[in-house]
Amino acid sequence: MDFKKTWKALRTSPIDTLFEWQNQRFLWVLMAVAMGGLVLVAHSFFQIYLYMAPCEQCVYIRFAMLVMMVGGLVAVINPKIVALKLFGCVTAFYGAITGMMYSIKLNGIHHAAHDPEGLFGVQGCSAEPGFPFGLPLAQWSPGWFNPTGDCGYDAPIVPDGVTLDGVQQWFINMYTASDGWYLIPSLKFMNMAQACFMAFGLIFVVLVAMAVVWGIKIARTKQQSIAQ
Amino acid sequence: MQSRFLKNAVKSVLCTFFFVAAFQASAFTEGTDYVALEKPIPNADKTLIKVFSYDCPFCYKYDKSVTGPVVQKLEGIVTFKPYHLETKAKYGQQASRFFAALMLKDQANGVSLLDDKSLFKKTKMAYYAAYHDKKQRWDGGEADFLKTGLDAIGMSQADYEAAAKDPKVEEMLQIWKASYEVAKIQGIPGYVVNGKYLIYTKNIKSIDDLVALIKELAGK
Repeated sequence: MDFKKTWKALRTSPIDTLFEWQNQRFLWVLMAVAMGGLVLVAHSFFQIYLYMAPCEQCVYIRFAMLVMMVGGLVAVINPKIVALKLFGCVTAFYGAITGMMYSIKLNGIHHAAHDPEGLFGVQGCSAEPGFPFGLPLAQWSPGWFNPTGDCGYDAPIVPDGVTLDGVQQWFINMYTASDGWYLIPSLKFMNMAQACFMAFGLIFVVLVAMAVVWGIKIARTKQQSIAQ
Repeated sequence: MQSRFLKNAVKSVLCTFFFVAAFQASAFTEGTDYVALEKPIPNADKTLIKVFSYDCPFCYKYDKSVTGPVVQKLEGIVTFKPYHLETKAKYGQQASRFFAALMLKDQANGVSLLDDKSLFKKTKMAYYAAYHDKKQRWDGGEADFLKTGLDAIGMSQADYEAAAKDPKVEEMLQIWKASYEVAKIQGIPGYVVNGKYLIYTKNIKSIDDLVALIKELAGK
């Protein structure tokens, strides 16, 4: 892709260019790969390799990300087909909005759990997870969806008798020292909830822009057909 | 002239009445601050049941700073009854049996469950601290788990096993099974007044607020 050409097209006719992008595969692929990738990293790297067990809201966040991945994959089949694009769009909106809500809730729980003064204002820890539409995901795939971590906590807990390799030890020491995941652990800057909110929020903003462009395009086409 | 005076008088009396009534009305609402249980816990009149699990961080936080002062302020109004939830933690069943046996010992010794001498309280706090502060997970199994509690009170395994055989322990565990249905509603910790009203934890604002709500529900 010629970056200069694309930039020029975006500047001179943003609506047409953005609409063109929706009908191409790359943005849908990007969303599906990003969301699937985040879940994969959370599961394989943080949960399995670093023994950072997922909390309740964390598994809901995984669910929201996978919903968006599925939506993206369906749209990728052929984004020019309105039904497929619409499916991708609706599921992506659903995932992004619920994902942001789970992230806000997790942030509140994280704050209440870690702040010695903080306590009131959160619901506490569920006895068992409840996924949207009553999906029994924790039974279907406990490794991915059973919240084995404590609500509000994601620090590594290494089982007895495990020998860690050097890299593992380095990461585990870092996240143990910060008592959980942070984008910059030494500064306790941006916890998992805030980082997830950013990811969902970014996609949400793009989705809104794309939906607006789509709407304008439909309106224009209608006007043109009336004028003709 | 007179009728206008009368009208005004009636108006002001009515206004005062509504004003006072508004302030006397409950500050708590069902659905926001508490919910009436569909299946009330039987034989729980004049009690404050607390559903908890040793692996729940907020149960630990509440037990460190809220439960004690709240129960003290409610002395004579409700009796405090902790119910351990056996379904949540890895060693939930073992913990429930252990706590039930020690609670009965406390009862026999005439020690309050909030007293620092209470065997139940000592072991409960020991499990909380081991799990949440020291991040112990007892990978060695059940005996490993029990050791933490036994060490906290200097009890031998044999003494515990003898205490756990008391049929009253089994009775208590059966009663505690009600905690599962309660925990499903909004998670734990879960405070239940008179076995009928579950308090919504997220809307508790302070210790005094919780005391006031429990007092109101206890009188219902």
